[in-house]
Amino acid sequence: MDIISSLLNILSIIGFWFIFKKFGIKRWHALIPFLRDYRLAQCANEPKDGLIYTILSGIIWILSISYSIVDEKTVLFGTIELKDALALLMLILVIPEFVFSFRICKGLCERFGKKYRWIIGWFLFEGITSLIWGLSSKYVPLEKEKEDTIKETVEESGVNTTGSDKDLTINIRERSAKTLRSKRTLLKDIHMNIQPGHMVLLLGGSGAGKTTFLNAVTGYEMADADIELGNDNVYKDYINIKYDIGFVPQQDLMRGSDTVYNTLYDAAKLRLPKSLSREDRKKRVDEVLDSFGLGMLKNTLVDKLSGGQKKRLSISMEFISNPRLFILDEPDSGLDGVVARELFEKLRDIADSGKIVIVITHTPDRVIDLFDDVIVLAKDANRSGRLTYFGPIKESYEFFGKESMEGFLLAINQKEEGGEGRAEELVKKYNDKMKLAVGGEV
Amino acid sequence: MNNEVKHSGRLSQMFIYTGKLFRMFVFQNDWKVFPMAAVITAIVCFVISKDMFVTMEGTTKGCFAITCICIWNGMFNSIQSVCRERPIVKREHRSGMHISSYICAHMIYQLVLCLGQAAITTAVMKFSDVRFPKTPLVTPSGITDIFLTLFLITFAADMLALLISSLVRNPTTAMTIVPFLLIFQLVFSGTMFAIGGNAAKLKDFTLSKWGITALCTQGNYNTLPMTTPWKTIKKLENVKIEDKTPIKDIIKNVEKKGSEKAFQLRCGKENYHEEYESVRSNVIDCYIRIILQTLLFAVLAIIALEFIDKDKR
Repeated sequence: MDIISSLLNILSIIGFWFIFKKFGIKRWHALIPFLRDYRLAQCANEPKDGLIYTILSGIIWILSISYSIVDEKTVLFGTIELKDALALLMLILVIPEFVFSFRICKGLCERFGKKYRWIIGWFLFEGITSLIWGLSSKYVPLEKEKEDTIKETVEESGVNTTGSDKDLTINIRERSAKTLRSKRTLLKDIHMNIQPGHMVLLLGGSGAGKTTFLNAVTGYEMADADIELGNDNVYKDYINIKYDIGFVPQQDLMRGSDTVYNTLYDAAKLRLPKSLSREDRKKRVDEVLDSFGLGMLKNTLVDKLSGGQKKRLSISMEFISNPRLFILDEPDSGLDGVVARELFEKLRDIADSGKIVIVITHTPDRVIDLFDDVIVLAKDANRSGRLTYFGPIKESYEFFGKESMEGFLLAINQKEEGGEGRAEELVKKYNDKMKLAVGGEV
Repeated sequence: MNNEVKHSGRLSQMFIYTGKLFRMFVFQNDWKVFPMAAVITAIVCFVISKDMFVTMEGTTKGCFAITCICIWNGMFNSIQSVCRERPIVKREHRSGMHISSYICAHMIYQLVLCLGQAAITTAVMKFSDVRFPKTPLVTPSGITDIFLTLFLITFAADMLALLISSLVRNPTTAMTIVPFLLIFQLVFSGTMFAIGGNAAKLKDFTLSKWGITALCTQGNYNTLPMTTPWKTIKKLENVKIEDKTPIKDIIKNVEKKGSEKAFQLRCGKENYHEEYESVRSNVIDCYIRIILQTLLFAVLAIIALEFIDKDKR
């Protein structure tokens, strides 16, 4: 029995060795128990499940070893036999181990484009199945794992921007996320200068790093960057400067069981300076309510508001502190064209009062006339968010050679996403333009 | 520009959130916890009121059942209170909210809810003719003694649920954890199920153990009669031993002398529990342990929620 088991194990190792070869993963990892399971899960595009599965397998292995060496008479807590306790624990852990193993096998079938019935093969005859998948030329992954290889991509512009004492100056060198296994660059080489009174559209395909960019700009998630709002460094003085930055999230995150007035008044108490008198605070709340058309609804419960009214309240909660920088993540999601237009006109008014307004929206063309500038982010070959364009709306059409913002997205999106896959080309074009603008060589 | 500007501190933020929670009391349907407490207590008292604080067995079962009510009430008060608004808390934390102020506001709000529930539970017990202890140990009256104990158990369970609510990300997960917590509290209370060996140490980490101990101590447990042996003997009265019924003879003899009560008291004396000795220090000791657990849960809730920024989209 032991010989058969060892033979099957050897078959598994050989199979894994060749599967890893197909994915460009170090082949000797197939020799190390547990690591090879984790690596196989990575091949299946399920690294998180793989980590949990590996941990569970490790614990079960330790428990089984303990089970075989502990004395039968050993008693736990005076009543339970240790062997029984270990067996029970193993039984409890085997269930999730099975589930995670199933997920990994399912992921493998998807990666290789094979039918799900192969899951049975993986469960019952792992050695032979892995050998077939490893050695047969018919078993090829549909798409190799992207994270393991660093591809050549557009070089950095190396252009740092500076602005006047009222501008928002953004110089993000890199924003990366580290995992147990690797480091991934989420944003790279983003430099711009936004003037007060400008309303800026933030555009980018799915996963281009729009929210990461905004979090880095607001100081909520710090990057390797210099972010200056006027003369203040956002990162160095985050505790104070955060009251000067209004961030309106995509969802209307407010308590439905409170009234409009109280919601806004509590927001005022949190965000306005302590020194402000009660009367001044009330006055400011009334002003903001009226300016957002919520005056008549002040005693209404938030739950009773329509989508557009909720959005206006959500915006007014941030606007109450009169921030210099105002950022909105898809404020028009779920709103019809007319209501969305009204909302963006309100944002235009805010920008005209000398604020910087940055907005993410997936339907920009219906309100594009209200914006001054556009920031376009795109994924490069390594899936890092890169700046493809920053500048006036009018010039952007010429830069992209398109007639609409949706056309921009089509140009930068990758081919497998249905786009033209020109992100790299456009990043390079923009970098060259920037270098020329500062008098450098292309 | 903003370097010298001061914003609301922890204390004023605590008042902001306390006010918000009390305002939302009516609209959020939190008021339902009061009639629910009354109904649950009435159902339980229907069964336990006759013997609670009258016999040893009735007191043990009664105190266990009442403690269960308090733990149930407390847990369901706040098990969803934080997790259901977790994204809102994250947004407000980003805008300068202090987590400690937020949790303290919840503590104040839940404290008032728990006071109300404990008062209702005590009142329903009174209306159900539970015989409250006549000798108070902590406050000037036996009823207020029991009220205080019920409040402390409810509030501690409430804080335990608040901790769970702060740890998990959604109400479904929170509600999945509740049965495990309840089973742990009930099984390891050490009253209804005998636990020996090292497992007995787990009892010290339950609210139920200290709650039941405090109630039994206040109910003068060690001076109460124990009725089970007498009832068992009565059931055996017709048992024949060598064509005779000696047990029946003993029962007749005891009844003739009118000594059933004395027999039961004697049985009770043999079942003496030191931890239930009716002295003030025993009750205070239980209170301190419950309060310490309450504070520990609250502090852990603050620590847990401080990591809210790590939540992914």
